[in-house]
Amino acid sequence: MKENSFYSDDFEELIRGKTEQYKMYPSENVWKGVHSALHTKRKWFIGSMAFLVTGILFMAGRELILPSNHPVLHKPMTGAAADAVKPAVENAPRAPLAILRPANTAVTARHNDSDNNTSSQEWDPSTAGISITVRHPVLSQSDLSEWLSQVVKLPAQAPDLDVIAARTPATDNNAIAAATRGSDEQRNTADEQRGVANDQRGTADDQRIAGDGRTTADGRIATDSRDGRIAGDGRVAGDSRNTGSETGTDGLTAQGVIESLSAKGAHEGYYARSGAALQSSTSTRSGVNGQSRLAESAGASTRASAREIAESDDAQRVNWLHDYAMNLLETTPKSGRTYLELSLSPTVSYRSMGGSDVGADKLYPLGVNGLPPGGPNSYIDHRPGFGFDASGSILYRLTRNLSVKGGLQFNFTRFPIKVYEDNGANGTAATTTLQSPYGIMMDSISATGMPMARSGKQTSITVDNDYYQLSAPMGFELRVLGNERLQFNLAATIAPSYLLNSSSYMLSSGYTRYDKRPTMYRKLNFYVGGEAFFSYRVGNIRWQIGPEFRYQLLSSYTSESGMTENLKSYGLKIGITKSIP
Amino acid sequence: MTEEAILQGCLKNEAAAQRELYNRYSPKMLAVCYRFAHNREDAEDMLQEGFIKVFSQMHTFQNKGAFEGWIRRIIVHTCINNLKKNKRFNESLDIVHAHGVQVREESVPSIVQAKQIVECIRILPIGYRTVLNLYAIEGYSHKEIADMLDIEESTSRSQYTRAKQMLEEILIRKKILAKPKEKTEWLVAVR
Repeated sequence: MKENSFYSDDFEELIRGKTEQYKMYPSENVWKGVHSALHTKRKWFIGSMAFLVTGILFMAGRELILPSNHPVLHKPMTGAAADAVKPAVENAPRAPLAILRPANTAVTARHNDSDNNTSSQEWDPSTAGISITVRHPVLSQSDLSEWLSQVVKLPAQAPDLDVIAARTPATDNNAIAAATRGSDEQRNTADEQRGVANDQRGTADDQRIAGDGRTTADGRIATDSRDGRIAGDGRVAGDSRNTGSETGTDGLTAQGVIESLSAKGAHEGYYARSGAALQSSTSTRSGVNGQSRLAESAGASTRASAREIAESDDAQRVNWLHDYAMNLLETTPKSGRTYLELSLSPTVSYRSMGGSDVGADKLYPLGVNGLPPGGPNSYIDHRPGFGFDASGSILYRLTRNLSVKGGLQFNFTRFPIKVYEDNGANGTAATTTLQSPYGIMMDSISATGMPMARSGKQTSITVDNDYYQLSAPMGFELRVLGNERLQFNLAATIAPSYLLNSSSYMLSSGYTRYDKRPTMYRKLNFYVGGEAFFSYRVGNIRWQIGPEFRYQLLSSYTSESGMTENLKSYGLKIGITKSIP
Repeated sequence: MTEEAILQGCLKNEAAAQRELYNRYSPKMLAVCYRFAHNREDAEDMLQEGFIKVFSQMHTFQNKGAFEGWIRRIIVHTCINNLKKNKRFNESLDIVHAHGVQVREESVPSIVQAKQIVECIRILPIGYRTVLNLYAIEGYSHKEIADMLDIEESTSRSQYTRAKQMLEEILIRKKILAKPKEKTEWLVAVR
């Protein structure tokens, strides 16, 4: 290939020799391009992770902004259930609530009861046969309570706790058991009622619906199966004590609510239709015997007085429902505006070097010892290292979404640098060029035996540059998305910092060596930081996690040094926030 | 890290070994690219493309010659391929007689030694410069140059002759070279 004879020509030899000496140093982007082209697996991994994280964030964000409803509410009914419900729905087109349950569901439950044990303890009369399902538009429990509170005027005073306790299902079960065991004066009635109940369980799906529509004192609804109406006149069978276990077991039922409303005549037509729907869906297999027996036992009381008692009793039940749903449920304690935040952030720290050794540039305008001129970045080999931040802050909530905060933070920053052992071949000392108002001067303090910054034939070693700083970040937190439980926040801080200690090397004059010059480090500095994090409240404590970034505004070195060093850290902040009472 | 260890690491696609190899040869190779390219950015693009080829074709190196020479050939071919994509380069190669190309005095940087000569070479028209680079510096024959550039061998010879004359003129004008007393003797002012 080569024509060696050609180089007998001095001209070509000169050109070749001179151009061979010439070297140029490519920018770091060239290597990045080469590296990314060669390591595509890594690129795919990063891309996949980015896609995954983006997907998760998108889903989380969408869930925060537009939370999906419970799938059960949207699940369409099919088969017999749909058939059973359909006529009732058609009969009550305006009803926000339909007191319906698919017939086959109720039957199945009762068959199981019948097969195993038909005792009244196992049969929960407060729930059997009656259920509240929701039609469109979708209503939640709170909606139900709100609706009821609007329809029914609440008493000024809170309901009697004894009454509430007596009406709760658990109490009712106890009453059932007690009644089943029987007191002497009620034994006959209770036995009769148990027989009625057994008959009903064995033969009918609408145990609650008795033949002539009479209502017991504790809210059991009796409907007339012949005309399908809920008893609008609210007839009662008298005192619950006299009606035994069956009449004391259905304390809270929506039927009672409806009957009460119906008795008041507020929505008589609608509830009559609802009652008809209820009966059509549940009383297809009513037992006539049960109805007649219950009617006989209830007929002992005066109907006029029973209506009044039923109205007041149902009003109590409605109020109990409201109180139970609205007032007795566990409520979230109100929190104050001040919070304590503790956090720990593992970080990865980098540094960026800038400026130049002015002395070296003056002395070696074409580069030091044959190397091209340039800033200190051309002569150093540093890598990112692990550190951490630990902080405690006080947050004050200005508005629902905006908080200000201030606190203290301890920062430990480390980044390793590659240096070369001094083998004694190079006798140069480490000196530092200083800038002063009088011009550039060479510091007389010198150090020998310090590690070399540039490679000759020495062995390379790695030393750590460490910084210990105390800072006082001040800033704000902004809630971007979410509710009180799950939030996505952004935060920004600025922090004056004080250098507690350092164990780091700085380049000496001429970029030849590393030197430890504690006096050349700036004590007071400033940081700016930003973070984005998700927070999730568990009880009184809010957990948060998210990435953070911190950048040192001023150089680590004093203004005497021509070189500059700025630190930056990327971290993952993990913290807790607790309300301060 | 020895060259053998670097080669083994590169064959295993180890990033550290690749970086070491890159650090070792990229300064020289960028200078090669710079002599061919229009500017430094183009040179860096050529260097990047060339090193990607080096690393991806590493298994084809058979230890029969110097590793640096093998890299250099890849880099040079990469530069040529890049130039051939450039329309101006193809047009320039067709100008066999490029007399009257004026070199402005101020366009020659006042730098010394190697860089000075490199910058003088870069003043040449791109066709001249390419042939000069390939023949005088890289050591390719005119036949090889003709194959590489898809031109006649005679064209390569004439291009080189013109390039050499022009470069001499520039170097003398910049007083880097003294005028020879005889044809075969050159006095280098900077020696």
